[in-house]
Amino acid sequence: MIVAADVPPGTHPTIQVCGNAFVCTFNYDTLISSAIAIVLTLGIGLGVAYRLGHGKPGRLQMVLELLLGYIRNLTREMVSDDAGFITPIAATIFIFVLLANWLDFLPLTKPVEPAAADINLTLAMAIAVIVIVQWYSIHVLGFRGYLRRFTKPFELPLIGRIFFTPLNIIEEIAKPLSLALRLFGNIFGGLVMVYLLTLGFTAFAGSSVIQTALSPIWVILLVAWKLFDVFLIGTIQAFIFMLLTIIYFGMAREGLEEHHGAATHSNELRRETT
Amino acid sequence: MNHALILMGALIAAGLALGGGAIGAAIGDGLAGNATIAGTARQPEAQGRLQVTMFLIIGLVEGMYFINLALGFFFIYVIAK
Repeated sequence: MIVAADVPPGTHPTIQVCGNAFVCTFNYDTLISSAIAIVLTLGIGLGVAYRLGHGKPGRLQMVLELLLGYIRNLTREMVSDDAGFITPIAATIFIFVLLANWLDFLPLTKPVEPAAADINLTLAMAIAVIVIVQWYSIHVLGFRGYLRRFTKPFELPLIGRIFFTPLNIIEEIAKPLSLALRLFGNIFGGLVMVYLLTLGFTAFAGSSVIQTALSPIWVILLVAWKLFDVFLIGTIQAFIFMLLTIIYFGMAREGLEEHHGAATHSNELRRETT
Repeated sequence: MNHALILMGALIAAGLALGGGAIGAAIGDGLAGNATIAGTARQPEAQGRLQVTMFLIIGLVEGMYFINLALGFFFIYVIAK
């Protein structure tokens, strides 16, 4: 059922499309497997959208509506009411990562693998997210407010805030790194585990007779691990990637609430005095 | 000889990283489970919401450990090649 890994995970077959090796080398297995996940995501989304007006809603549509409603509520709670553009971003990220992880459960042949087991994919997604977050921060706070956000504990005196600036810059750089490494590490760790299980099988049972006799045990072990890895860890990690995206959008508004709160506070004071 | 020494160091280091990371992840999981049990005992009707949050936190905690695992394996593989 599950193809035994003969090459250690982490080695990707590459293809070079032009002379410059640094720019033009691609891991084509990641390209193929993420393309499958992208096509599935688009197909589900467009298919459900196409069938919207026809008859009674199917089960898939209800699941998607529940998911979208949940993400919309999350965005409202953690970011704000007028940040509606975050909902499609977060939902697309969730469904794409979920499908890319769940593909791992199928018996895959060689060039197809869970796409998130390549750090290039997760890092690209994390960088895209963080670039949008920076844009949103500048858009909401203005450029001065954006720079002011880097002196973060706002209630400290000026010297303390200057002292905290390098830490805030490091935090801003560490955000996409930890986001990418978390997803990559989980999925890659699952692949390593599968590789070790198959390796243990061939090393433990030397002769082919013992191998055939023992193979049901290893298949059961592999399937049990795959069930845990794909359907629990894969789902949780897809959800965490989405949730952290929304949380980073919420953190991009820091400083605005305080401003806002001060304004409403002064308004109340004014109302009380008049 | 030199290569064998390097490989030995890499294996020991990866074992240390995996062991330490497992200790941390286990403590974190235990804390999350502890808080969930305490919350459920105090307020049984909140069990569903608490469990969702618990799995979320377990995912975050174990994320760190899996980063350890992946990088450890990566270093061993790169050095042993």
